[in-house]
Amino acid sequence: MTKLGRQIVIGPTDNTSNERTPRNRLLLIPDAARASFVPWAPRVQGLDPAEADLTRLTPGRPRAEGDPIKVTGKVMDEFGRPIKNSIIEIWNANKYGRYSHIEDHSGLQLDPNFLGLGRTISNDQGEYEFWTIRPGAYLARPDINRWRPKHIHFSIRGGSSRLITQMYFDGDEHNDTDPMRILMGDNFHTNIGKEYETPDEDFDCGYKFDIVIGGKNPTFFENI
Amino acid sequence: MTHSNKKINRLTPTNEDTIGPYYPISFCDGDSIDMTTAKNGIIFEPDGEKITVTGCVKDINGNLANGVLLEFWQANAKGVYSTPDNMGDPDIDPWFTGYGRHRTMNGNFSLKTIKPGRCGDRAPNITLTIFSDGIMRVVTQLFFENDPANDQDPLLQVVPEDLRERLMIKNTGKNKYYIEIIMAGENETPFFDDLLS
Repeated sequence: MTKLGRQIVIGPTDNTSNERTPRNRLLLIPDAARASFVPWAPRVQGLDPAEADLTRLTPGRPRAEGDPIKVTGKVMDEFGRPIKNSIIEIWNANKYGRYSHIEDHSGLQLDPNFLGLGRTISNDQGEYEFWTIRPGAYLARPDINRWRPKHIHFSIRGGSSRLITQMYFDGDEHNDTDPMRILMGDNFHTNIGKEYETPDEDFDCGYKFDIVIGGKNPTFFENI
Repeated sequence: MTHSNKKINRLTPTNEDTIGPYYPISFCDGDSIDMTTAKNGIIFEPDGEKITVTGCVKDINGNLANGVLLEFWQANAKGVYSTPDNMGDPDIDPWFTGYGRHRTMNGNFSLKTIKPGRCGDRAPNITLTIFSDGIMRVVTQLFFENDPANDQDPLLQVVPEDLRERLMIKNTGKNKYYIEIIMAGENETPFFDDLLS
């Protein structure tokens, strides 16, 4: 057992990270209190399967601008056991790097056919599948010319598993200067979607993004 | 599976990342920060003392941390958590999940809940998870000031004595409580490591 908790590091050139990152080392939780830190989040019921297709607002509507891509993968715990029936949420910018979020004040071009948010539930094997548009990179810090590379946000919740992460694209010219990517160091590869061909389908390509949820939380309760 | 096997077979966890500033607000549509109402329009209510915990989340400059997503988790009035492992426990309150989630636009929150009960050595507490732009998920537990069980609580024992006060929810009136969460800097709230421990 490790003697000390983690020291969270501030993301370089990230103002919010500087303002909100705890400066003190995290405290380890004694065994007697450990289980109490594992919320059992009620599951969201009745998702519409169409919510996994971000390329159209609703079935039958025009396809959004940009390259349609598939994002598929498997959610697991550290032992490779599937995390099933989990709600997986994704959100990403449109091809111009603009979010439909009301607080995105970048002024970049909107696409009226792209909302950029989707949800699905992992199946019995822990697998999921989304259709979306390859997001654009965007200038996050105009004052120092620092960009955010192309990325897709992921949230996994339901049961005792909890993870918020991002999928990045291999070879993006802005990856190396991204504050969070810098903090990931040699483990950055776990956050890269692996490109694959989708022959005879109406997609530019697919990305395989397997997600391993670390720590004790996902294994605390029976994975039902 | 032996201990050594476990180590060898473990997969590398995917790095956590910041939630960023644009978590879709509509994903929170079904969320509730009122744990005292099990379902809309139902006459049954959870047992226990109904309380309101108001509070705020602040950054290193004392400014409110806008746009943070808060998750609350607690035991019921009898000190029992509602998990799949104890569905048959007679002390489970069928009208209380103990789970609340809230995206705060400006950094303030007002949690309506039941005062959690004591459970063995554990003093009444509320687990708080914060998702914010700029950092990964951070977690802590909040306690009730002057609760006699605090002295023996095993979690509070690992918090340096002079910092314990920062985890105390203060009583400000009948059924009313208040706490400030300071994410960084002076008077920083102690946070815990649920990945390594």
